Amino acid sequence: MTRLGLALSSTALALSAIATVAATETPAPTPDRKSPDFATQIRPILSKYCFACHGPDEAKRKAGLRLDTREGAIARNQEGQAAVVPGDIPASMLLNRLTTIDMDERMPPKAEPGPNTAEQALLRQWIATGAPYAEHWAFVAPQRPAKPAVSDEAWARNDLDRHVLASLEAQGIKPQPEATRETLIRRVSLDLTGVPPTLAEIDAFVEDKAADAYERVVDRLLASPRYGERLATPWLDAARYADSHGFQQDDERSMWRWRDWVIEAYNADMPFDRFTLLQTAGDLLPDASPETILATGFHRNHRISAEGGIDAEEFRIEGVFDRAETTATVWLGLTMNCARCHDHKYDPIRQQDFYRFAAYFDSIDESGIRGAERSAAPILRLPSPADAERTTTLAAAVTAAEKELATLKSATPPATKDALAVAQSALAAARKARDAFAEGVPEVMVLKERAKPRETYVLERGAYGHRGARVEAGTPGFLPPLPADAPGNRLALARWLTDPANPLTARVQVNRFWEMLFGAGLVATLENFGSQAEPPSNAALLDWLAVEFREHGWSTKRLLRTIVTSATYRQSTAAPADLIARDPANRLLARGPRFRLTPEMIRDQALAASGLLVERIGGPAIRPYQPASSWDGGPGSGNLNNYTPATGDDLWRRAVYVIWKRTQPPPGMVAFDAPSREFCNVQRLRTNTPLQALTTFNDITTTVAARMLAQRIMGEAATPEERLTLAMRHVVSRRPDAAELGILTAGLKRRLDRYAADPTAAATVLAEGTPPPPHTFPPAELAAYAQTCALILNLDETLTRE
Amino acid sequence: MNPINSFQDQVLRRAFLKRSAGGIGMMALASLLGRNLAAAETISGNERLGLPHYAPKAKRVIFMHMAGAPSHIDLFEHKPQIEKLRGTNLPPSVRNGQRITGFTSGQKTLPVAPAHWPFKLCGPSAMPISNLLPELQKIAGDVAFVRSMHTDAINHDPAMSFLQSGSQLPGRPALGSWLSYGLGTVNADLPAFVVLVSRGAGRPQESPVYDRFWSSGFLPGEHQGTRFRAGMEPVPFLANPTGVAPADRRDQLDDLGTLNRHRLASLHDSDIATRIAQYELAFRMQTSVPELLDLSKEPREVLDLYGLDVQKPGSFAWNCLMARRLAERGVRTIQLSHVGWDHHENVVDQLPRQCAEADRPAAALITDLKQRGLLDDTLVVWGGEFGRTIFTQGGNNGRDHHPRSFTIWMAGAGIKAGAVVGETDDFAYNVVRDPCSVHDLHATILDQLGINHEKLTYLFQGRKFRLTDVSGVPIAGVLA
Repeated sequence: MTRLGLALSSTALALSAIATVAATETPAPTPDRKSPDFATQIRPILSKYCFACHGPDEAKRKAGLRLDTREGAIARNQEGQAAVVPGDIPASMLLNRLTTIDMDERMPPKAEPGPNTAEQALLRQWIATGAPYAEHWAFVAPQRPAKPAVSDEAWARNDLDRHVLASLEAQGIKPQPEATRETLIRRVSLDLTGVPPTLAEIDAFVEDKAADAYERVVDRLLASPRYGERLATPWLDAARYADSHGFQQDDERSMWRWRDWVIEAYNADMPFDRFTLLQTAGDLLPDASPETILATGFHRNHRISAEGGIDAEEFRIEGVFDRAETTATVWLGLTMNCARCHDHKYDPIRQQDFYRFAAYFDSIDESGIRGAERSAAPILRLPSPADAERTTTLAAAVTAAEKELATLKSATPPATKDALAVAQSALAAARKARDAFAEGVPEVMVLKERAKPRETYVLERGAYGHRGARVEAGTPGFLPPLPADAPGNRLALARWLTDPANPLTARVQVNRFWEMLFGAGLVATLENFGSQAEPPSNAALLDWLAVEFREHGWSTKRLLRTIVTSATYRQSTAAPADLIARDPANRLLARGPRFRLTPEMIRDQALAASGLLVERIGGPAIRPYQPASSWDGGPGSGNLNNYTPATGDDLWRRAVYVIWKRTQPPPGMVAFDAPSREFCNVQRLRTNTPLQALTTFNDITTTVAARMLAQRIMGEAATPEERLTLAMRHVVSRRPDAAELGILTAGLKRRLDRYAADPTAAATVLAEGTPPPPHTFPPAELAAYAQTCALILNLDETLTRE
Repeated sequence: MNPINSFQDQVLRRAFLKRSAGGIGMMALASLLGRNLAAAETISGNERLGLPHYAPKAKRVIFMHMAGAPSHIDLFEHKPQIEKLRGTNLPPSVRNGQRITGFTSGQKTLPVAPAHWPFKLCGPSAMPISNLLPELQKIAGDVAFVRSMHTDAINHDPAMSFLQSGSQLPGRPALGSWLSYGLGTVNADLPAFVVLVSRGAGRPQESPVYDRFWSSGFLPGEHQGTRFRAGMEPVPFLANPTGVAPADRRDQLDDLGTLNRHRLASLHDSDIATRIAQYELAFRMQTSVPELLDLSKEPREVLDLYGLDVQKPGSFAWNCLMARRLAERGVRTIQLSHVGWDHHENVVDQLPRQCAEADRPAAALITDLKQRGLLDDTLVVWGGEFGRTIFTQGGNNGRDHHPRSFTIWMAGAGIKAGAVVGETDDFAYNVVRDPCSVHDLHATILDQLGINHEKLTYLFQGRKFRLTDVSGVPIAGVLA
């Protein structure tokens, strides 16, 4: 008896029937009840338990049964049986096989877990009501949902709130009141700029009685150049941006002008469709300029090998696939990489679709391998006007020196040996000066098509060297088609990505921004909107945001303003324990989001609170304090070795500029779940580990920040209570309560006693890092304050946005 | 059930997993057990099956990765029958069009070069072991050899990635991360997955191995391998800032804990409780890690077993002794990466130097574990990411990368001592009997730890991923 076929012996059928009867002891479906929503309730169950063998992948489909289409589900086999017989539960083999107690018959096989009773009840209800199919929700373009009715009209500040409140009221839950002004300004400042507010900003907001006080804070933050620096980080993760090439010989590369372009684009609120167009096809525009070509650096951020003995073509193709997969993840939320070796198991992505998509990126004028230079062609050089002038001057100097030498060599009478030597060394020096300057002129790897396009082939089982059918560039067949007259190039792809008919792009983007502000996406899996994705926690809200984003010029600033000015966002994070127990992950949004800061924010916050932060936008990567062992690759591992921190201002610039060596990324960032940037990442996890505690307590950056914060508060106030209150305000934006202040001042007193008794210990504690403390502060007192500030910089509240 | 993990560990973990809301106390405890499942559970909806799946034979793994790929030809492949063909061109029927790397694809000839050193037949199965490995010869009876390993990759980076994570592409969790995720740790004061890297004298200029090879991939970050470096700071940021004594830190932590608990009382956020616990664990690590690295109490005869280099922090010998000390302390996965085997030229000079350094400590580790009874529940694996070619590369006795066949050995818990699995053809080129893939090796390791490799999965991008991807069968011939 095979477990593959639907053909059943009468014995097995009888057994199944018994099992079905046993299982239907849960309430029988009432025929007049409406059918469960296929897209959000039924497809996820079928996808989870059935599609791996009875889904879109034709090659691996078992028993010829296909359950991802209604046609397949109701088709009758040779015995006249069907998986689904609409309206007839006993005749539907699907339920029999999922619920039978006969383990030879039961699906899924191999004792894999099957649907639970709630899921079984949904399936029964669905079959009883006619088993209607619908397209996967994410593959149907979002429409503006109707404005929901709510009873608490006063609470909702905008339509976003109405969508949240409608779902809360349906469950009888009340939202939380607005957070305190201190909490709110810290929350929104960190969220939008990555830097906490200053005391003056806090005071101004707390005292501002105007109705739009908060909105004006938001507008100020969105206009701050810090906004672009903050928004850039998630995009750099997605774009796998790094300052080194990756692989074994992990040499430094020079892509920072592209990183600066991203920051500038966010600050200028470049519409997302334009942002997409430039990065995907900025080189192909009729009016292409260095600026639009620079944007295509997005697709050259992947790793490039220089390993000896590799097959360059194999690695070139790997880079092409990386671009296709990254585009599918970042714009479409599709796991298209699954279709590299076979048809997708869950989504209607054919293997051909993957190669057609990859074909858009296959004709770049590149080799797949790099040499000793910092960049691999195609390259865009970006000299400033001053750079260009200097380059010309230095080139002219070389020419002059060459001419001089040539003249001497052909002179009659012959020039002296000494004269020749002088001219030769002058030429060498001129060349050296020219080359050294050229090394410093920014250049970026970009996209450029070859004169003759490559032919793209399917690779059988995804294996290099196993060519299958030839394919032309195109988009996946199950998504809206390209216009008939669209060119077969990246320009068409870019326009298709942001076409109003595209069901995915806008939803995928707003969902990522939502996660940035609420700690979890409305669709929990930011990287996957396919049939295996959990349905959105609030589908109407997701669609409303997507339509708003698209219809208001794809303005990111407007979208973020809508979200952060909502009553939903402004809620307090404190909530009754029973609400937290009922909804630990806050999917209902009945309270404010509370979650750990990014490592970038943790660093920048310490620098800002202590007054160390040096703000200068853009430029080559910086080297902050980091353990010397951070780069211990040794010989053969490339030119980033023996990590040496910078001196001066570059120690104190924002985290977004910290040099990123892919094979050994900054240890303090990795401890807080930053990705390696070796490949596209759109969702950072938020773990809580002992290595994080070691990082924030022992990194020299914290030590110096704690000392500088101590100096700052000692200069700003006189009593311990006033000073420690200020320290708390600089770091977490609020005043400590009496109990907290009591603990802090008692601790300070103990440390004052300790360091007064041991001046050597005080001097040692103050000695680490630059700049050294001025002599105006008594060392014992400064050390005691510094150690107390260090613990404030480690409070859970400090590491969290509340 | 589970005879090995402590009852307490199991009960606590199961109890935790059953609680959807994750009560504060349990959450903190779960973190101490090396797991913070809240994020994974609520975000991805992973359902974890009870682990181990069946009674494990091994509690832990020591994986000695010989990075760069040792020459199986010279160390384990005794082929006297082709000695007469030395220097002649490799018969094309042997290679049969299989790809070779860019190092040798341009060569006019591929001259056959059987092993350059004599062998001794060792152990109950008369396994040929090169005289370059005299210490391994002595313990051959404790070891099982697999001569029929093969891999899919021909370059180091993808091949090492494959060996460590079951995938040539970056982004998949390493073996040790899977074990940390699946089995947790039994020592709350040390990470569950520790990595030690050393550089051999065979080819000092060779590229090292990278953090990615012990990355937790899509698994939560606490499962990533922690590399202990040689020297003053084995873990980044382990040491207090200059001048901050342990008592000073304790004093800070006490205040920090009081303030955090104060906050917890008003916010009810269990993450605060977890953070308090993690700061305490960090403090304990500041003691437990230096204690681990302090060899002053090791008896003379044990140090002598590992050889002179054992006193040199960061040497392979020091790392091998450290592996035993980590095993004693209950660390789940101990990975040693020993660089220096990539002999593209001058095997005759480089391989003896590399072996002279690497042979004794590896054998000493087996002996040391055995003497202490630790070999009974510790699985030890030794091997490179691929083999090397029978034919010469270049003009100076080099050997190129060879993915079609190579040899590894295993010892300890559940392994049939003295077994030899598989066979290659006359040129040690293709496997002719019992081929074993990297997935098979991984399946074997998981099996010894009581894990069905098909069932330790993690839902990511809508798909259940596993260490062995879509294949793998435990290697029956090495199982006791």
